[in-house]
Amino acid sequence: MILIVAEHAHGAARKSAFELVAAGRALATASGSPLAALVIGADPSSVATELAGFVSDVHVVADPGLEPMRAEMATRAVVHAAETLGARVVLVAGSRSGQSYGPRVAMRLGGAYLEDVTDVSYEGSDVVAQRPTYLARISATVRSQAERVVVSVKLGALAVAPLADTTGRVHQLDVPFADEDRRLEPGPREAAAKGRVALEEADVVVCGGRGFGSSEAFERHVVGLADRLGAGVGATRAVVDAGWRPYGEQIGQTGKAVAPSLYLALAVSGAVQHLSGMNRSRVIVAVNKDADAPIFKVADYGIVGDVLEVVPALEEALAGRD
Amino acid sequence: MIDFELDPQQRQIRDVARRFARDEVMPHAAAWDREASYPAGTVAAAADLGLLNVGVPTEHGGLGLAMLDEALVAEELAYACMGFYTILMASDLGVTPVVLAGTSEQQERFLRPLTEGPRLAAFALSEPDNGSDAAALRTRARIEGDEIVLDGSKMWISNGAEAEWVVVFATADPSAGHRGVVAVVVERGTPGLRAQPIHGKLGQRCAPTAELILDGVRVPRANILGEVGDGFGLAMRTLDRTRIPVAAGSVGVARRALDEAARYAQERHAFGAPINRLQAIQFKLADMAINVETSRWATWRAAWLVDQGRPDAAASAIAKCYASDAAFAAANEALHVHGGYGYVDEYPVAKLLRDVKLNQIYEGTNEVMRLVIARSLVR
Amino acid sequence: MTIITILKHVPDAESRVHAKDGALDLSGATFVIDGMDEYGVEQALRMREAGLDAEVVALGYGPASTTQALRTALAMGADRAILLEGDELHDPLTVALALAAVVRDEAADLVFVGGKQADWDSAALGPALAEALAWAHVDWTTAFALEGDAFEAVHDVDDGSETLRGRLPVVVTTQQGLNEPRYPTLPNIMKAKRKPLDTRPADVGQELMVVTGHTGTERERRREMLEGDARSAAAELVRRLRGEAKVLREEGR
Repeated sequence: MILIVAEHAHGAARKSAFELVAAGRALATASGSPLAALVIGADPSSVATELAGFVSDVHVVADPGLEPMRAEMATRAVVHAAETLGARVVLVAGSRSGQSYGPRVAMRLGGAYLEDVTDVSYEGSDVVAQRPTYLARISATVRSQAERVVVSVKLGALAVAPLADTTGRVHQLDVPFADEDRRLEPGPREAAAKGRVALEEADVVVCGGRGFGSSEAFERHVVGLADRLGAGVGATRAVVDAGWRPYGEQIGQTGKAVAPSLYLALAVSGAVQHLSGMNRSRVIVAVNKDADAPIFKVADYGIVGDVLEVVPALEEALAGRD
Repeated sequence: MIDFELDPQQRQIRDVARRFARDEVMPHAAAWDREASYPAGTVAAAADLGLLNVGVPTEHGGLGLAMLDEALVAEELAYACMGFYTILMASDLGVTPVVLAGTSEQQERFLRPLTEGPRLAAFALSEPDNGSDAAALRTRARIEGDEIVLDGSKMWISNGAEAEWVVVFATADPSAGHRGVVAVVVERGTPGLRAQPIHGKLGQRCAPTAELILDGVRVPRANILGEVGDGFGLAMRTLDRTRIPVAAGSVGVARRALDEAARYAQERHAFGAPINRLQAIQFKLADMAINVETSRWATWRAAWLVDQGRPDAAASAIAKCYASDAAFAAANEALHVHGGYGYVDEYPVAKLLRDVKLNQIYEGTNEVMRLVIARSLVR
Repeated sequence: MTIITILKHVPDAESRVHAKDGALDLSGATFVIDGMDEYGVEQALRMREAGLDAEVVALGYGPASTTQALRTALAMGADRAILLEGDELHDPLTVALALAAVVRDEAADLVFVGGKQADWDSAALGPALAEALAWAHVDWTTAFALEGDAFEAVHDVDDGSETLRGRLPVVVTTQQGLNEPRYPTLPNIMKAKRKPLDTRPADVGQELMVVTGHTGTERERRREMLEGDARSAAAELVRRLRGEAKVLREEGR
């Protein structure tokens, strides 16, 4: 069987869960095996119900120690489910969480780990995937040679699946957690940005660089434009290093990788490390006062100009239709 | 056997200098140039990394870097800013005579403090009316008991006002010509020693230069390097070595000129294509590459000879003369490739040309280099 | 105690990496210590400098050229280095199992691993190594403090950051923000020459995953420059995004 591990937040499945459903359906069809979903959390019943609209069997592991997510708790739950259900392929999200327990699950199952893939399929009886390497400048084809395989799927790489026309069943699963699974004690959390769309899930991302000159100007122009567009806010490493924005908003090698439909790079010069975090975006717009900035080489539309003039003009042009 | 590869340690040394140059020097070089400001903080940072006074022997707290290592550092720092490198280079110029002729006691007294902080040395040979013609020295040295008394003035002294001490060359007997010259270490703050900063330089504007006025300056005889009469030979042996870092710095400037020209020629379009498609531009780039490559090998060979214990005056002079001429030519062509933009300070190429002009002049003009080379040919 | 920092030697971000006829071409690349790994070396050194009685061991995995990364770590201040010689294309699980054997031999209590390797773009090595050792791990760490054998770490999670507390042993994956790695200094480079660097072959088991091909990821882009002053260029951009690109729907939500 094919098992997807559906992530969720605030009582609803994350977008990544439906991307995994799409990947899972394709693999299930190709191998003629059933597809099931696993939902783990303190009380993920609403998520299970939601997913039952997409897959025929949803397995639920409920334990207060699963929220906030701890990698070893999640590992135990996923391994137990995979073994109990006889899963050959386990699909997890390429989120920070998924990448935290994914490798552990693969090793504990004695299986292969295909990490952060942008495409996954069967070739004969082998699971084959594409994954970015070398700061996303290369896409490598990787092939599992193991009986079992864990695949983490890059966020936003696949289209979300449509609803199925049947209602699935929800099953409870008991997991024999060990004391060591709880050995890390979660403390205080800081949310990245209240109420804003998660960066990796955003359909539009507005990213700003140091050229805004100050955190106030960044807030006014970049965050302002993102709010108007319902977009995620991204920042360059220089902006984060300057302390204007939190690490969670950094895009690039040392930050997050995004692939939205529209990426607005404002005063972003386009260093390789940055490009590796956004070069899969469908449409890229660059605004930079330096006509020679490398970002223009990967942009679909470019405007040479001062962001402090162009962004207000853009706001005005967008408002024109309202 | 000839080996053209750097060993892992040499690569590491180069990488330290390269990273420092890129992160700490290059971003500020234009501002230092514009304001003619001395970058004390960056000199201190260079000292922290061990890039300052690299020639101090290990037994006196230094790194005792080989000349080839020093050449690697020189090329990287000069790539970012020749003026900045001159500050470090001029300090090693002051250190070298102490290393060559100082007693162990003198080395410990003068060199160790230089390894304990961002402290500079200086070298004072030229005078207002004479330069490489050391036999024409006018600064007088008189022995009085346990002291030596100095009177006169020294011109174009890099780090002259900043140095902890300066090696002053003076004549104890003007009638004796070369054989009357004495080298003396004079510490900063010695009564009668005054440094008058020189302003209005064409290039290398962050490197401080001064005139030193010596008015009855008294120092202990224990500060004399070698014997009275050894000074001229010591100055020449010093310059035979220190011209190699000048050559290496020139390689750095030439390499920078090539990189700047190549980048601009890719970006700048004319007649519907980047100008690097034009053969006229390609030939300029090729000439610059020839300059970089050939001057580097001449420099490394001269350095290698020093490291083999066979310092060679002609080899050093060839390297210094050839590399500085080649770097001037490269900077000139790089400026030309930039057209009108090369003539203003929006791009770094004008600074390259202004800076590297000095490499053809200091530590012996290139005419003097040719004299030194000819001396090895004509007996 | 012994702190191990794991190192890889990877193509410099600025260097040319490309694929031709399915094969990876790294001939134009210069290799450097992985920037992510430097944070781990720095962290270990800072802990020692703050008074922790610890030996810092740099442990590299890869081909013989990886010694250069190890030499950098020694020059930064690590006490000694070990190279586990193995194929750079081995997958992180295979590498983790080989590294785990050395970590056990060295009786280390704390291991730092770069959060994401710049060759494989992989974040798996840290968690996989922890699993191989049956240790806990903290990933994407931006702060780490040790008191006795108890630690407190701050790390990034999907929606922000979180504090975690636990006890050694632990594998910590590092990232930007943890510290500012020092430059190796010339004196330390000279000293590093005399520090031990031990090379041994990696004990690699059955590979569970293989790489069968490579392609470049460069996409065709429109690369259209919109001319005019800010207002007219912005207006034209909005027209294009709504029209030909069809990526702007109802905004102002």
